[in-house]
Amino acid sequence: MDFIIQLQHSAVMDWVRESGSLLGYPAILFLHTIGLATVAGLNGAIDLRLLGVASRIPLAPLNRFFPFIWGAFGVTALSGVTLLIADAETKLRSPVFYIKMAFIILALINLQLLKKRVFADPNVDTHPVTSQARMLAFTSLVFWVAATTAGRLMAYIGPVAGLGS
Amino acid sequence: MNAPHFHLILNHVPTIGSAIAIGLLLLGLLRRQEALTRVSLEVFYVIALITLPAYLSGVATGMELEKMPDISVEAIHKHHDGAIVAFGLMLLTGLSAWFGLWQWRRVNRPSWINIGIVLVLSLLTLTTMAGTATMGGEIRHPEMMPEGSAPTAGPSWIHAASIQSLVTDHTWIWPSLEALHFIGLWLLFGVVLLVNLRMLGMMKSVPFSALHRMLPWAVLGLGINIVSGMMWVIATPEQYMANVSFFWKMGFLLLAGLNLLYVTAFDEAWQVGANEDASFGNKAIAFGAIASWVFVMYFGRMLPFLGNAF
Repeated sequence: MDFIIQLQHSAVMDWVRESGSLLGYPAILFLHTIGLATVAGLNGAIDLRLLGVASRIPLAPLNRFFPFIWGAFGVTALSGVTLLIADAETKLRSPVFYIKMAFIILALINLQLLKKRVFADPNVDTHPVTSQARMLAFTSLVFWVAATTAGRLMAYIGPVAGLGS
Repeated sequence: MNAPHFHLILNHVPTIGSAIAIGLLLLGLLRRQEALTRVSLEVFYVIALITLPAYLSGVATGMELEKMPDISVEAIHKHHDGAIVAFGLMLLTGLSAWFGLWQWRRVNRPSWINIGIVLVLSLLTLTTMAGTATMGGEIRHPEMMPEGSAPTAGPSWIHAASIQSLVTDHTWIWPSLEALHFIGLWLLFGVVLLVNLRMLGMMKSVPFSALHRMLPWAVLGLGINIVSGMMWVIATPEQYMANVSFFWKMGFLLLAGLNLLYVTAFDEAWQVGANEDASFGNKAIAFGAIASWVFVMYFGRMLPFLGNAF
């Protein structure tokens, strides 16, 4: 933890935080938003399909979205880590931050379970959606909603940074 | 061109536009021409979109006008209260028209229940919009009123000021709206990506018509975000009205809104079948749609950095 706080005071992070450049903090915040919209959005759309929305969409082709979601998660995670380090003293003391991290981990485990238990089956479209798949879709939506809510509340509850967030 | 200029150009569109759309709808019903009825639904949707900048430029104009001498601030506030009701009804009309177009596209025939709902909502919209327009006119044109007559009354049950105090007096409302706005954002963007990435060639085995059923969830996300966004604008207009980032966000939102009509109602999108490559035009439009939503998010995020918000 001390190491992260030391990093907060590095020259790069000082620039990210204080340069006022649109390529600094604002650009990283934007990448984080696009990333989360892609990850939670595509995962959420797949969840809705499993729960019965647009049931004429075959499931097998949706497999192609998994690498896309993980790629977008890479962008979200990298930008997120940068935002965390830039403001580590505040964020690491925020209980909401840890709640957010917990829900993201749950959501990612859920995503892997969807992949392994539902989409890895080559005959996925020959039988109706299993109750296990529907359950995973439901919990996935709950985790992403909770992670998004916690993420937003970090700017309002507990120690709050002076940075635009 | 400034906000009052914009408002003067746009402020007649919601009233005259809905009158024309109602006329088209009735003409379609009378002549039994379904194509005409369908066009009227599309016109309602587009008019609802244009009502957004009409409303927003009005808020900015009100803020400018209040600074001037010999202006009745009360008249401006009444006009604003009326505009909130009329804009709300206009959005409901546009939403119902969108839903009617979505259903129509799917089953290839109109839903008469939906047409009935659109007709009732649009008549309510036209009445309140005309009243709102009259109140707006009276702010600067006392010659509209015969001598001794009272100004047109605004609604008594809703006030911009009470929405404002609701949002600013309770510390939990703003963060709750933020959470909702971001959930709405990913719900909308996820469906937008799924639909438009298909156009661009991902999962080509899926016909576009199967993805079409997802669209109401994008509209749900959009609805959540318009309501939460409106609450912020009413609560703290000074954060948005002189904000260049907000201007661009709304501009790209209108473009993206037009795209939503395209993927919902147009034959060109609907007819992309299983294992078919979308036309170059469809691909360009799909790319433009994703780009528009990305810009909406960019300028939303830049509200505090390019502009003066927060």
